[in-house]
Amino acid sequence: MRIVTSRAPDRSEAGQTPVAPAGQARLTLALAGGKAAATASRVLRVGGGTSLPGIVASRIDPHVLQKATAASDARKVVVTGSNGKTTTCRMLAALAQAGGLSVTQNRSGSNLLQGVISAAVRGTDLRGRMDAQLLLLEVDEATVRLVAPDVRPDTFLITNVFRDQLDRFGELYSMARRLEEVIEALPASATAVLNGDDPLVASLAPGASARRLYFGIRAASADAASADGTVPEHAADTIRCVRCQQRLSYRAVHLSHLGDYECPACGNARPGLDVAVTAIRPSRGGGSEITVETPAGTFPLRVSLPGVHNVYNAAAALAGSIAQALPRPLEPAQARQALADLRPAFGRLEEIQAGDRQVVLAFVKNPTAYNTTLREVLRRPGRKHILAAHSNTVVDGEDFAWLWDVDLEDLVPHLASVVSSGTRAEEVALRFKYAGASPAAMEVLPSRSAALDRALAHTPPGESLYIFAGYTPMRELRSIMQRRGWVRPSWEE
Amino acid sequence: MTTAPMTVRICHLYPSLLSVAGDRGNLFALMHRCTWRGIRYSVTEADVDVVPDFSRCDLILLHGGQDREMTAAALDLEAKAGPLRDAIESGAVVLAVCAGYQLLGRSYAPAEGPPITGLGVLDVVTRAGPERFIGHVAVECDLGPGGQGQLTGFENHSGRTFLGSGAEPLGRVLAGAGNNGQDGTEGARYREVYATYLHGPVLPKNPWLADHLLSRALAHRYQDCGPLAPLTDQAETQAHAAALRLARRPARRWRAAASAVSRVRRPRSPRAPATAGAVRPRATTPR
Repeated sequence: MRIVTSRAPDRSEAGQTPVAPAGQARLTLALAGGKAAATASRVLRVGGGTSLPGIVASRIDPHVLQKATAASDARKVVVTGSNGKTTTCRMLAALAQAGGLSVTQNRSGSNLLQGVISAAVRGTDLRGRMDAQLLLLEVDEATVRLVAPDVRPDTFLITNVFRDQLDRFGELYSMARRLEEVIEALPASATAVLNGDDPLVASLAPGASARRLYFGIRAASADAASADGTVPEHAADTIRCVRCQQRLSYRAVHLSHLGDYECPACGNARPGLDVAVTAIRPSRGGGSEITVETPAGTFPLRVSLPGVHNVYNAAAALAGSIAQALPRPLEPAQARQALADLRPAFGRLEEIQAGDRQVVLAFVKNPTAYNTTLREVLRRPGRKHILAAHSNTVVDGEDFAWLWDVDLEDLVPHLASVVSSGTRAEEVALRFKYAGASPAAMEVLPSRSAALDRALAHTPPGESLYIFAGYTPMRELRSIMQRRGWVRPSWEE
Repeated sequence: MTTAPMTVRICHLYPSLLSVAGDRGNLFALMHRCTWRGIRYSVTEADVDVVPDFSRCDLILLHGGQDREMTAAALDLEAKAGPLRDAIESGAVVLAVCAGYQLLGRSYAPAEGPPITGLGVLDVVTRAGPERFIGHVAVECDLGPGGQGQLTGFENHSGRTFLGSGAEPLGRVLAGAGNNGQDGTEGARYREVYATYLHGPVLPKNPWLADHLLSRALAHRYQDCGPLAPLTDQAETQAHAAALRLARRPARRWRAAASAVSRVRRPRSPRAPATAGAVRPRATTPR
């Protein structure tokens, strides 16, 4: 079956922009400024230039994002949600390239407004023309309502909505309401790609005119070690019907509150899945062999990244890519190749050789992401040496109460040592103490480099140090390891 | 001290409905602090449609939730109201947090929709304000013998609570907004009910309050239980001190945010600075 194109009507001449001459001059200046900033930040080695170009360009022309994307013929995809954005985008880019599209995307998880504008600056020439055929943007869920009106996505994909940084985002339902507004503003030619297994996401904006494409898991059970039967874990959020507040009943729970649900009171149930994972088998090397049924055919895929959360990411990416009008139909063999070769994004259970020890770096920012990471780590043998780091920053928020919703109790019986770090190191240590960690096995070292040294010293040669860290300390620890030559800069990925 | 091991009977109300931001840390704190002292405990979980035997509860936890969950809990609480009131009058200890605090008051008027009638054991009324109070808090408390200390934690609420003549505040705000951002009060007390806007792990981080609740709960059950054995509390003391420092950062005291990020469609930065203690408006989503 051929998916109806979701592209905007072709403009008569590529590169012909609707921008007035004066506006064009300002846009050119803004793009030049942004590009210069990108070059400068690299030459001066002050970072990967993931947000500075956006800051400079939008200072020169506040409408740079709107103008640059309006002038472009590229298909536009915006991906948002609580967890899985970065990995879904990496998979979507790989699939789109396999389907014959060139891709421009924001990298390194730079998903706030400046990171998005930086990506548009990088992908656009000085006249505002975009070479790539697909503009793929990962956008923070609080930022997406600022980005979507400018970018006017052809495809808007929501991976899932979990409780995350209540101090930054407000209540779960106000976040949902803001996502709903983005879906409602989509034209009928656009597609909303939604996680059908997420009761909150599936119910968003039911009256919107955009086409809806639901993805999810219809397999009898997800991989046994992480499937939780039919009862959501403690940290699950949307376990009540969004319409009538009755407790949902689940035929299967695959992850947190994601699964096959039905409300016993009002009949609200998981929608029919357009892109459905119908089989999941563990594959060699820790990933999964999955079968995905889609309107564009059946895809037997190998997901190289471990865990059922990556099965969801793969289903989301496949749904997102078939929502595009690809120049040539996506062949199952090509799609399989595209996903089978994927390595984890930085900080997503990224394995780093640190001399004669190994470091596994995991970015954890909310209870669901943390619990998912814990489950993966606990599948590996041996007692665990841990470095746990959180800091209060603009990106990471001020409130770390959510650490108490993480099931660290499951880790403690396997714990050999834990060094807590970051500006909230004391809070992290307190959580580990009340999870049952012995005070003798715990140390508090707010300095990231001192904590890394100490945690590595605890880890015997040949064994692994697991780092669980919020965004800012994760970036800091990664740069320390980068300076030591253990890992490449994240922007080279 | 009684010779047979003592048992504290804990009742966790609405564990799935009202548990939004790490509130279960309070339960963990009580459990561990009993275990470390050789005190036994039992935990009864009572969600919707379950009415526990409140006459056999010494310590009742009633935590926070978002608006929808709070409405569902308020409806269910009608069935539990009588025996819960009796338990409170008989001296059972209650820790009520955020939405749980509001539910024990007389009424709660949300920004939209009909007012919610509370249990009325606390002489307080709450109405939704135009913006949320979000930030670190420090409170000076004097709860009687063994109950003096500084309480610290994090608040995130749009409800403004005002005390009537029959309610005492839990303490005086040193930093943060507290009940309403105006009168310098935080939380409320009545008999052995302790209500606060400080959510999440307030008991692990304030071990003096955890122990005060435990000793009052033991006194509720046992005539002569003596003082609690002291604990080292090194991690607790460090976390408490760190949280107090955050609350009392001079530049980051609570202040009304002049501009509302939700009203500015296109701010220069993607969001307002997340200064601790800043008020960020969520006008449509009171708690």
